Amino acid sequence: MAHAIWSGSINFGLVTIPVKLFTAVKTDELSFNMLHAKDEGRIKYERICSIEDKPVPWDEIVKGYEYEKGQYVILNDDDFKKVNPEATQSVDILEFVELDKINPMYFDKPYYLEPTKQGRHAYALLRETLAHTNRVAIARVVIRTKEYIAAVKPIEEALVLELMHWASEIVGADSIDVPDRAKLPEQELKMARMLVDTMSVDEFEPEKFTNKYHDELLTMIEARAAGKELPKPKKAPTRAKVVNLMDVLAQSLEESKKRRAGTNGRATTKRRKKTAA
Amino acid sequence: MAQPRVERRVGSRTLSLSNLDKVLWPRDGYTKGDLIDYYESVAQDALPYLAKRPLTLQRYPDGIDKETFFEKHLPRGTPEWIDRVTLPTPGGRRSDTTFIVCNDAPTLVWLANMASIVLHIWTSRMPALDEPDFVIFDLDPGERCTLKTLATVALQFRELLQSIGLKPLVKTTGGFGLHAIVPLAAGYSYDTAKIFAEIVARRAATELGELTTLQRTIAKRPQDAVYLDWVQVGQGKTIVAPYTLRARDGAPVSTPLHWAEIEAFSRRRTSAAPADEFAKFNIATTRKRLAREGDLWGPKYWKKQRLEPALAKAKRLW
Repeated sequence: MAHAIWSGSINFGLVTIPVKLFTAVKTDELSFNMLHAKDEGRIKYERICSIEDKPVPWDEIVKGYEYEKGQYVILNDDDFKKVNPEATQSVDILEFVELDKINPMYFDKPYYLEPTKQGRHAYALLRETLAHTNRVAIARVVIRTKEYIAAVKPIEEALVLELMHWASEIVGADSIDVPDRAKLPEQELKMARMLVDTMSVDEFEPEKFTNKYHDELLTMIEARAAGKELPKPKKAPTRAKVVNLMDVLAQSLEESKKRRAGTNGRATTKRRKKTAA
Repeated sequence: MAQPRVERRVGSRTLSLSNLDKVLWPRDGYTKGDLIDYYESVAQDALPYLAKRPLTLQRYPDGIDKETFFEKHLPRGTPEWIDRVTLPTPGGRRSDTTFIVCNDAPTLVWLANMASIVLHIWTSRMPALDEPDFVIFDLDPGERCTLKTLATVALQFRELLQSIGLKPLVKTTGGFGLHAIVPLAAGYSYDTAKIFAEIVARRAATELGELTTLQRTIAKRPQDAVYLDWVQVGQGKTIVAPYTLRARDGAPVSTPLHWAEIEAFSRRRTSAAPADEFAKFNIATTRKRLAREGDLWGPKYWKKQRLEPALAKAKRLW
């Protein structure tokens, strides 16, 4: 595991457990840069004032909250500092609750907690106690200057700090139109249950499910990066039989020439200029 | 222990430098301050080979005797003004790698301040990272190979390339060996470059006979021969950049040479080891050498070459 993203302590009662916080989930999403198609220059952003229609330097930029259409309250750095929670670097445990009493929708993002050397004993104690009582700790956490509510849960050998949503962030199901819990025909329920039974597995194995879109995109990118064109499935084996390296090179040169002349080649623009001239 | 940070103006930036007195080459006494001064003073000649290329750093925060680490990914806390490029990790399907790209002197000084002694570059430049702009051959002498032998092999290797119309350039690696390169015209893929390199290396091995080996397993190589390595051609593979310092005693520098200098080495009567001679190109001598000779890989010498005519000649001759 790489760098800790935060270090502080878990506090409850008189107990303090020094811990470090590590990422527990990471996203697979590929990131793309926006480029100018013509010359592959990176696209830059500029901050333009909508009134002057001119770029604005950072020191002339303030933050405004639109409390009514077109009406702003301006807040400066000092204003934000006034209400920032104190950077306590702590996970303050407020209460304990059984895990299934928490609606899973409240859970947002998990992090691993790792004890420092002095904290190992107390860490193990908290972990065992939570596991035995099937409870999780609800805590108030400050990371950098933001305050969160979080649950501390035992998962395998680790304690996991799972950031939670505030109650005000959860949208109630009453906002959508769903059927009432009416009595359903027994026969239909039986059929549905049978179907579920036949499709049931004993364990949830997340490895079975792969992100096909992501993998295919990546395969495509890797192929392009290696200078190969993609949908040329199995033409290669016959060519690979060519033993004489010079013939292979001649072929390779021929291919890069085609690549350059083709629509995907990087040197396309150069070529076009030549023929146009 | 904590030393005051020193502000230094480099180009358009003011950099905050730290621990300038920390000794990185303990037997020579060169400090991090010397490292920074060196890179700042050679920036003009070193930057053309660093610019637009993904960079891998080899850092020695506690000196050349202590732990080193290769850093491909942008270090934590890298200032925003440092240029970077995000690329899919070769082979890996997990995440991307964001490389530092050193396009200017402030970046170079900032890298030196992080005790980045050795700078490794790609052999292709942005935006055409899939097209190498030179092919590299690594001439790596065995343990008992003399400077004379290495230089002789290098010259014969050069002749071989000249016989098919190519003009190679040469530099010391800063360690034991030499790097010979052929600058390429645009538009060749790594696959093409690699096959070309293999043809040349195989031909060299037959023609130069016992003086060279293509044996990759070190233990099986004849110790008095030169290992000719052509497999460093490929996207994501790196080489030590020209004018890069090495983490060896004497703080040697990977230095472009005149072929005439190689000729002089080949006429030596002594059985000197290559590394001893190459160590004379170092942190203390390079500035003077650059002032005297200029950059021997510079635009005057760097001729982009086409492979088609070379292949035609090779087919006739080999």
